[in-house]
This record gives sequence, C-alpha cells and structure tokens, in this order.
Amino acid sequence: MSVLRPMDKLPDLNRATILLVGTEDAPLQQLAESMLKDDCASELRVHLANSLPLPSDVNRPRIDLIVFVINLHSKHSFQKVEESLNHVDSRFFLGKVCFLATGAGRESHCSVHRSTVVKLAHTYRSPLLFCDLEVESFRATMAQRLVRMLQICAGHVPGVSALNLLSLLRSSDSLPSKES
Amino acid sequence: MSENQPELHPDITTDMEVVIDTEEELIKQCEKMWEDMEDCQNKLSLIGTETLTSSNAQLSLLSMQIKCLTAELDHWNKRTHEITPLTEDVLITLGKEEFQKLRCNLEMVVSTIQSKNEKLKEDLEREQQWLDEQQQILESLNVLHSDLKNRDVTFSVSRIFKELKAKMLSIKDFKEKLLFTLGEFLEDHFPLPDGTSKKKKKCMQTSNAQLITLHEIIEMLINRMFDAPHDPYVKISDSFWPPYIELLLRNGIALRHPEDPTQIRLEAFHQ
Repeated sequence: MSVLRPMDKLPDLNRATILLVGTEDAPLQQLAESMLKDDCASELRVHLANSLPLPSDVNRPRIDLIVFVINLHSKHSFQKVEESLNHVDSRFFLGKVCFLATGAGRESHCSVHRSTVVKLAHTYRSPLLFCDLEVESFRATMAQRLVRMLQICAGHVPGVSALNLLSLLRSSDSLPSKES
Repeated sequence: MSENQPELHPDITTDMEVVIDTEEELIKQCEKMWEDMEDCQNKLSLIGTETLTSSNAQLSLLSMQIKCLTAELDHWNKRTHEITPLTEDVLITLGKEEFQKLRCNLEMVVSTIQSKNEKLKEDLEREQQWLDEQQQILESLNVLHSDLKNRDVTFSVSRIFKELKAKMLSIKDFKEKLLFTLGEFLEDHFPLPDGTSKKKKKCMQTSNAQLITLHEIIEMLINRMFDAPHDPYVKISDSFWPPYIELLLRNGIALRHPEDPTQIRLEAFHQ
C-alpha cells in the first residue's frame, strides 16, 4: 500500500478526509485548526504528513483531497513534495490533488522560484493556490476555501464532481504552449 | 395518469400504512444504492495502480480527463430524475420546510423595515429641528429688517439739525462749566499777591501797573492760541506777576519764544 489510491475504501457516512503533506509541522497544524473551526455540514477529518509514502500499518479512512504544501523559502520542501508525488496514484490527479505555495509574500527569502511551482502544478494538471500561512486572516480564508473544495471532492455537494471543479478552476497563469 | 390511480388507492386507505410505505420505500432505495456502491468498489479494487512521472504526467492525465469527462457527460445525459413519492407526510414535511424558510425571510424583512423606519424617524426629527431653527432665524431677521426700515423712514434733515444743535449746546455748557471750575480753582490756589513780603518789596516797587490774575493770563494765552494759531505768542507785560510766569514756564504749561524772551505761548496740548 505504498501508493495512495483514491477509491480504495468505501466512504464513511457524511465524512470527508483531507491529507495535508508538507515538511514543516507548524503551518500544517495551524491550517488544520483553522479548517476544523469552520462549521460545515460534513464531518471533517484532517490528516497531516511530512511526506509520502504513508506508513501502511495505520487504519485510515478514504482520502478525498490531498494538499501538498510547498514553502517557497526552502528547496527541501519542494524536493520532498516532488518525491512524494511518485507515491500518488494517477487517478488522484483528476481533481483530488491541490498544491499550496506559502511564503510568496517575502520575495527576498524565496529560494524556490514561483515559476518552478507553477510549472509543477501545470505538469500535474492540478490547481495551485498561493497563501501566506503565517498571516491569520489569509490562513482562515484559505481554510474556508479548502473546506469547500473538500466537500466537493468527497461528493457531498450534489451535481458537482471533483473533475468538474478541476475543469472550472483555470489557473490564471498557464504556461504558454511554447514552453511545454 | 391512469397508471397512477391504482397506486394511489392503497395509499389513501389508512394513514399508518402510508407512513410505513414511505419509510420502507426510502430504506429500500438506500439499500439498493449501497449495494451498487459495493459492486463498484469491488470493481475498482481490481484495477491496478499506476503512478506518474513528470515526463508522462501531462499526456496521460489529459487523456484520463477526457475519458472521465465524457463518461460523466454520458451519465448526466442518460440519467432520469427520480422524484421521491409524493405521499402525504413527504408533502407535509416539505411544506413545513417551505413555511419555515418563508417565515425566516419574512422575519428578516420585518426587522430590516423596522430599522429603516426608525432611521427615517430620526432623520425626520433632525430635519424638523433644523427647520424650526431656520424659521427662528428667519423671524429674527425679519424683525431686524423691519426695524431698520422704520429707522430709515423717519430719517430727515431737521432731526439731524436738532440733534447737532443739542449736542453743541451741551458741549458749550460743558465748556462753561470747565472754565468756571478752572477759575475757582485758580482763585483758591493762586491768588494775586495782596500783601507783599518785605524781601521782595524792592522788586515789586518797579511795577506800577495793576496785576491781573493767573486766570486772566491763562485766558489770554488760550485765546491767542486759538485766534492766531500761526503766531500764538503773547508779549509779557508788566501786569503779569513774574512768579506766576515762572510757574507756568517751569511746569511746561507755557513756553518762551525761542528768539524773543519776552514772548510766551501756551503749550499745544491739543495737538
């Protein structure tokens, strides 16, 4: 079970699970708390991980949405995320994966260039969100957004599927065709 | 329509049966859906996993997306909408929900309108106050205007003339009073020498003319000052008592002529 598969288990009643993958614990923890504070109709579960593959001995529910958190200040986080992507089944990328880049506010500290992350998101055809997870208000807004996305990916919103959402989320800066 | 009627008959017979029927039907539908899901799940678990590398990611993902989107599109096209059987209790529950929603909306509307009303009342009060103040100002201005008008109308030359005459008379009276007081003061404090002292007897004998009072000297000086302002000098005559002349000169009331020591004039206090 080293590879995460989207539909490997039956869903639990009214439950939605999100997996946050990132190298630093503190921002993930804070983001998880913000998400749990948001009140929504479904029951939320938040799992945190530093990298994939996840240990296979733990009994975890079906994961509906994976968010890869990349800190633009450290190349290490970017590399870890790239390695983790190899352990995700291809069917996850039909709308159930999302990239979150943090730390873009302070340009001088960024060691990973913005275009690198954009290219990664473009390669895997997944939405890329920018958020400064250290600022309380931005974090709360991003948590709300992720909760809505999670509800759709878990199928709790009738009429919209994860793939529909993906088609609707056109990233504003798509690379020109020459580069690809 | 004819197909529906035989279905309706067993529902209308007893209420109890109707209730059980709806619940059972719903439970049956749920069970069926769960069985379908389990079937799908079994089928899915048979499909193997495949991971992506960055090189083949885009192409394979795009082709997968195409397949899935076309499958979803087919599903949406084929799907027929099932309505929940509109039995009595279903209708009642739906109706209750609708009424609740309506009530919430109406309550909101009521509260907004009430707050708007209050605001409007406050605005009206404020405007009323402002209007009252403006009216008061207008009234006072009107009164002022009519006052000024009245004053203007009774303005005539004779009135001014009379007023000026009265002023002049009063000033003249004042002048007379001042001169009288001055005369009395001078008589009291600066009398003519009646008896001369023995020491000054020699000096005094040279004068033969009758001495005039200090009052008269001062009068002469004042008159000269106003009669001939270009030449206000008065020649010192023997009728002036020399100590009084010295008194006037030393106290700055009179001044000597700069070239002629026998002439004095009054200091110009009015200039």
